[in-house]
Amino acid sequence: MTDTPARIPGERAALIWGVLATILVVVASIGVFLVAPGDADQGIVQRIFYFHVAIAIVSLVAFAVACVAGILFLRTRRERWDDVGEAAIRIGLLFSVLVVITGSIWAKASWGTWWVWSDPRLVTYLIVVLIYAAYFVLRSSAEDDRRMRYSAIYSIAGFASVPLSFYSVRVAESFVHPVVFTRGGANMPGSMLVWFVVSQAAILALFIALLEVELVGRRSERALRQLVLRLENP
Amino acid sequence: MVTARGLVHAYGERRAVDGVDLDLAPGERVALAGANGAGKSTLLRMLATLVRPKAGTLTVLGHAIPDAARAARTGIGYLAHDPLVYLDLTARQNLELYGDLYGVADRDARITDLLDDVGLAVRAEDTVRTFSRGMAQRLALARMLLHRPRLLLLDEPHASLDAAGADRLDRELDAARDDGRAAVIVTHDVERVARVADRLVVLRAGRVVLDTPMGDLDPMDVRRLYTGVAP
Amino acid sequence: MRGRQLAALVRKDLRLELRTRETIVAMVLFAIVMLVILEFGLGTRDGDLTRFAGGLMWVTLAFTAVLGVGRSYVAEREQRVLDGLLVAPVPRVVLLGAKAIAILIYMAAVEVVVIPLVGIFFVKGPYWDSIGWIAITALLADVCIALAGTLFSGLALFTRARDLILPVLFLPALVPVVIAGAGATHAVAGGPHDMSEWRGYCLFLAAYAILFALVSVATYDAVFDD
Repeated sequence: MTDTPARIPGERAALIWGVLATILVVVASIGVFLVAPGDADQGIVQRIFYFHVAIAIVSLVAFAVACVAGILFLRTRRERWDDVGEAAIRIGLLFSVLVVITGSIWAKASWGTWWVWSDPRLVTYLIVVLIYAAYFVLRSSAEDDRRMRYSAIYSIAGFASVPLSFYSVRVAESFVHPVVFTRGGANMPGSMLVWFVVSQAAILALFIALLEVELVGRRSERALRQLVLRLENP
Repeated sequence: MVTARGLVHAYGERRAVDGVDLDLAPGERVALAGANGAGKSTLLRMLATLVRPKAGTLTVLGHAIPDAARAARTGIGYLAHDPLVYLDLTARQNLELYGDLYGVADRDARITDLLDDVGLAVRAEDTVRTFSRGMAQRLALARMLLHRPRLLLLDEPHASLDAAGADRLDRELDAARDDGRAAVIVTHDVERVARVADRLVVLRAGRVVLDTPMGDLDPMDVRRLYTGVAP
Repeated sequence: MRGRQLAALVRKDLRLELRTRETIVAMVLFAIVMLVILEFGLGTRDGDLTRFAGGLMWVTLAFTAVLGVGRSYVAEREQRVLDGLLVAPVPRVVLLGAKAIAILIYMAAVEVVVIPLVGIFFVKGPYWDSIGWIAITALLADVCIALAGTLFSGLALFTRARDLILPVLFLPALVPVVIAGAGATHAVAGGPHDMSEWRGYCLFLAAYAILFALVSVATYDAVFDD
């Protein structure tokens, strides 16, 4: 803390994860769009499925990371956990928006309409986007200690809202429409499953790489701020 | 009563309290002075367990802060700029609330005594909204004393109390010296507080720049310390 | 000790409310206006809104809840009393419980008006036989609203533009409560009387309340820990 490091810690990790994520995304894209067996009914759009589901799952991972970071912040009061929480939610929110967009494209291809209120995934991710967009509204209207504390508390409460939203939408669904749309799931051929796992790994690596990059950026920003402060008040 | 080592509190990057050491013995009454923004009120709020120290260690009435803050709070009496009472409750209802929050056993008798003591017995059933500033602050004095605190933390008490209230407070501070309680009095007016304080601590930019018995004091030194011009 | 503190804090909120009559009256009026606006907004003046009665009820109650929850720390903030409560040896969870109970009472007072009105305004068919089931639903949902509302209003308390922040934080979290409240009401009001559906939604509300109670108890210390 007292010395400004010449190299920001985490740079190397960010680089390694970045390279790994790039390789995995390239491999997964080739696999998904060129190798994996297509679906007779849906054609190219069906291939969005691999990334759509992978991104959906990883965005929940991101919110879980933020929730844990929130708990750790409240325990230790160290700024680094606030950094982790904010970066994770930023990426998770981006991914959730992508889920809604890819889901909407899918809905257009499958059912000929951009929005289907009876599709639980589309609806829940819309709610999730609203929950976590509010996080940034809260952040921007409080300062310093309070900002970090409130953010930590909200990232915990928000993560409690996620399963509640998932479940409430599905409870309603099961009563209103007894037949729930299922995509993929159990009856997936083996070769599809392989590419599904690869794209899942690719998106997860991408999340970690983005998180590392965000954290490095934040650390260097803080180091710079401290340097400026020291120059101003010798 | 209080042991503080290296206390720090920062708003963002700006340090309001920057490495303060402070010890308070039973019966000791410390005046805490300094210019605006020197960190007096923040330090007092820290001692009152309202602000968590960013660094350093703090023990109040034998309890480590913030971990054992609630145990410490039972023995703290805090008088702030604001009277900390509800305007739409009567004087008595306010004291009843605080009596319950502090678990005062002889609540009703104690409240009647204190209302009498601060000269509000006749206004006990009126809402605080109808009170003058001085009366509200006398009610705050009663609120502070309700649970018989052993550590009094006062934020510029003489600025907001009327003459009757100030007299009552001075008597309390003298009694505190005699029965081994302690007090910290934040003040702008060192001369006014000199007659009830035993020791003067001056803060500048969050640091203690003077800590001396009241007897050894030259008022001109204090003024110079405020402004940072070398004596 | 905690019981005495809790009782004192709740009594204080009710006394303030009885003296100033600021919150409950405004909430009830707001809820009635909401129902009228929804009726005209849906534009079916001669149509049958029985199918939507549950939804209309819970949309109204959700927005009314935001209004009431927004008032929950107003006396402490405007009259600057909060430090007095915080410097007293009150466990933060007792502050949480007291505010939640006050919100619960306000919501119950609003529902005493809104639930019968929904029946009168919107429902054609059996309604009054189910009023007990609807009341149980409302009570469960109120616990959810009170717990989540207390937590979020604590967060919004010292933010800039707090009146704007609260609905942005609170309403997304209320979506599940609206879904379940409307679903449970729909299941028993005006038409098919489906108790298994009602039970499913009510169990969900109970799960929501438990989860938010855990989160609130775990985090409320930090809300006021400056």
